[in-house]
Amino acid sequence: MKILVLVLGRLAWFVPTIIGLLAIVFFISHVIPADPAAFVAGENATPETIAVIRERLGLDKPLHIQFWHYLVSILQGDMGRSIYTGRPVSEDLLSRLPATLELAIAAIIVASIIGIPLGVVSALRRNSWLDHGLRVVTIAGLAIASFWFAILLQLFFSMRLGITPLHGRVEGWGPEPITGFYTIDAVIWQDPEILLDALRHMILPVATLALPATATIVRFTRAGVLNALQSNYVLYETAMGYPRRLVVWKYVLRNALIGTVTQIGLIFGLLLAGAVVVEAVFDWPGLGLFAVNSILSSDYNAVMGFTLIAGAMFIVVNLIVDILQGMIDPRETR
Amino acid sequence: MGDQSETATAAGMRRRDVLRAGVAGAAMGAVGLPAAAQAQGRGGRIAFANGSAFDTMDPHATFDVGRVAYRLNLYDGLLRWLDNPPKLEPWLAESYTVSEDGKQYVFKLRQGVKFHDGTDLTAEDVVYSMERILAVKKGAYPLFATLIDPGTTKARDRLTVEFNLKEASAIFAATTHDIYVVNSALVKRNERNGDWGQEWISRNDAGSGSYILRRFDPARGFLAQRFDGHFLGAAGLQEIDFRYVAEVNSRVLGLIRGDFQGTDPYMPQDQITRLQGDPNMNVMEAESTRLFYATMHHKRPPFTDVNFRKAVCHCFDYDGWINNILSGSVVRNTQVIPNPMWGAPKDVAGYNFDIDKAKWYLQRVQAPMREIVVAGMVGYEQSMQAAALLQNGLTRAGIQSRLVNEPWPVVSNKMRDPEQMYDMLFLWRSTYYADPHNWAGELLATNRHRGGNASYYSNPEVDRLLAEALANADQAKRAPLYEQIARISSEDAACVFIHNTKWYGPFRKNVQGVRFCPIGDGQEMRWLRIT
Repeated sequence: MKILVLVLGRLAWFVPTIIGLLAIVFFISHVIPADPAAFVAGENATPETIAVIRERLGLDKPLHIQFWHYLVSILQGDMGRSIYTGRPVSEDLLSRLPATLELAIAAIIVASIIGIPLGVVSALRRNSWLDHGLRVVTIAGLAIASFWFAILLQLFFSMRLGITPLHGRVEGWGPEPITGFYTIDAVIWQDPEILLDALRHMILPVATLALPATATIVRFTRAGVLNALQSNYVLYETAMGYPRRLVVWKYVLRNALIGTVTQIGLIFGLLLAGAVVVEAVFDWPGLGLFAVNSILSSDYNAVMGFTLIAGAMFIVVNLIVDILQGMIDPRETR
Repeated sequence: MGDQSETATAAGMRRRDVLRAGVAGAAMGAVGLPAAAQAQGRGGRIAFANGSAFDTMDPHATFDVGRVAYRLNLYDGLLRWLDNPPKLEPWLAESYTVSEDGKQYVFKLRQGVKFHDGTDLTAEDVVYSMERILAVKKGAYPLFATLIDPGTTKARDRLTVEFNLKEASAIFAATTHDIYVVNSALVKRNERNGDWGQEWISRNDAGSGSYILRRFDPARGFLAQRFDGHFLGAAGLQEIDFRYVAEVNSRVLGLIRGDFQGTDPYMPQDQITRLQGDPNMNVMEAESTRLFYATMHHKRPPFTDVNFRKAVCHCFDYDGWINNILSGSVVRNTQVIPNPMWGAPKDVAGYNFDIDKAKWYLQRVQAPMREIVVAGMVGYEQSMQAAALLQNGLTRAGIQSRLVNEPWPVVSNKMRDPEQMYDMLFLWRSTYYADPHNWAGELLATNRHRGGNASYYSNPEVDRLLAEALANADQAKRAPLYEQIARISSEDAACVFIHNTKWYGPFRKNVQGVRFCPIGDGQEMRWLRIT
């Protein structure tokens, strides 16, 4: 019941948060001295041509009117058309969303599976050589530029060893999309060859994305475990003769994970919105590249649509984080 | 403007058959695959890494070279530019005639041309395509907007179509390659709310080109299969796969690894050199017609003073730029028309890097001096490098300057507003049609202010010569006019004309038959074979 109240409370803030987000992005993007009508018209266009296109796109109207029309359209489920491609923005976004989600979900799973145990071990062996070694690795993981690391992986594993694909989601064109998640579609089509191929193509981009995420999770888990280890209840349980493994992996970890789960939520949001570098290097046809191209071509509707999707996902992910925190620590829902 | 009087001159032109009937048979030999080549190397596929995303499959929505591949391979135009130097060859049209006054063009279409769905291509499809270009106002629309009114293009019979121009234009035929003909019945069936089928055709195919669209994903590219019913016969390759690969490094690594068999030439010189050193690569090289230059704002002091403009021209280190920064990969072009193009004079020495001469001219400047703004384009490394190089020369000559680098949408917007336009901007002029007017007309004509003429240059004599050249269809008579225009604009220091590009086409060694043409960038795949 308390979880339900929490969910409803968060959902109540969903609409005003999204409207606020859209308003900020809308007005900022329209302040940039770029003219999408001129961009659409092309290099040889006359001023008259540009004026006609500007009127057709509704860009000749006052800014607040344009924003109002946009909001009304959104409420009717219409994100508008891409100024550049002429297609519905929702169609463009939905065709790319699964690629980014598949990558981000895989990266966060890998980062959590590796990061949480390493964080615990690092805390349990505080100031040991293992702890120092992990500290160096995690700081390096946070400091290394994704762009450089991605190319390094490509050069070593794809070009020198030839054991991983260089780029793309699969060889060729992949399965006919059902969900857009190639791994899931391959399972639905019962095609193990494509499934394996899709997984092989995920290795390097997931490794690139997962490195800084893993580093963050290791650091937060370590700090959480150290904090929990100094609690009175751990001292009590240890004094009572509870097995060390039980104390650490059941009681300490449960408390230590509260901060880590929050971080995982934030990292996932960043992975969704910030995967552009990895998508560019690995030729991964996701949302990040679409957003960059939309910004460069001043495609307002596309930029707004991307913002809407990214914002909505960020809110949903944080809602899930709140629910998880409530499940880990029921006091959070009070 | 001398437009009216020059139009009257055009009325004196004699009626002529430009591509006479009977050329059709010869044309097959000219544009088709040699028989031996057709027999061998059939089949296979090419994966081509493209640096620009294919947002749409609508042939009338785009005009840029970066996305020319789907237009060239899925659709056909009335005529087509081929090879280098470019030749205008019969394509869907086997011949055309021009009226006495130069205002009416009548194209005779080839018989038996089929669309991909098997229906016949007729004059009605050409009329619909022209009307569609004028209606959707995208892509090549600016080429035709000032020349043709909606509703004036007529189908005389099943295979004859007439274009009625508002004024004589010697470049009209040169631009008809961009009238990509769509299957009007198919597009009409898919129109929604009078959208001319834009939404449907952005993902589908309504062409007659050498390849049929099989799959399209805006995030990935397009896959197309050979159209065996093409009027020139089946193309060499069975399948073409154009992939959008944003990163240059990924394109190069993919090519070296063999994931791709070809990629576009838009990459830094060091990557070209890297590919040239690979034994599995064939980096084709050809002189192209893409002019690199810098605008100067003629309406804003001190650029209003010709002595200041000449001083600036002497501040750019042309040799250092070409030989050191670009490793000799381009060719010096001293005037407005690219060297290989007819109408380009051979006797224009242009300006050299000479700071003493720049100072000499500066002493004669009457206009008030001030700090000038030199702009480059974000994402276009050469543009930003050239701006920095010029700044070095300007500083040595005693001219204060400030560099700004902005993305293309911002730049293109400012180019159209004389108030917002930078004092100087480094950019390229590509080949949209192989005619000197593509450079001289667009960059220098007063009526192209707020358009291609971002220098806001204006010289009545140049305007007169341009109008005369436009109204005259005889190349022999037009060439001296453009040569004269180039000389005058050089003497006026209209812009800083720097270099003409070379085309580097990186392909795997087993790719044969590439036919490079500056219009299309060598991306027409029907000629290719995999050996």
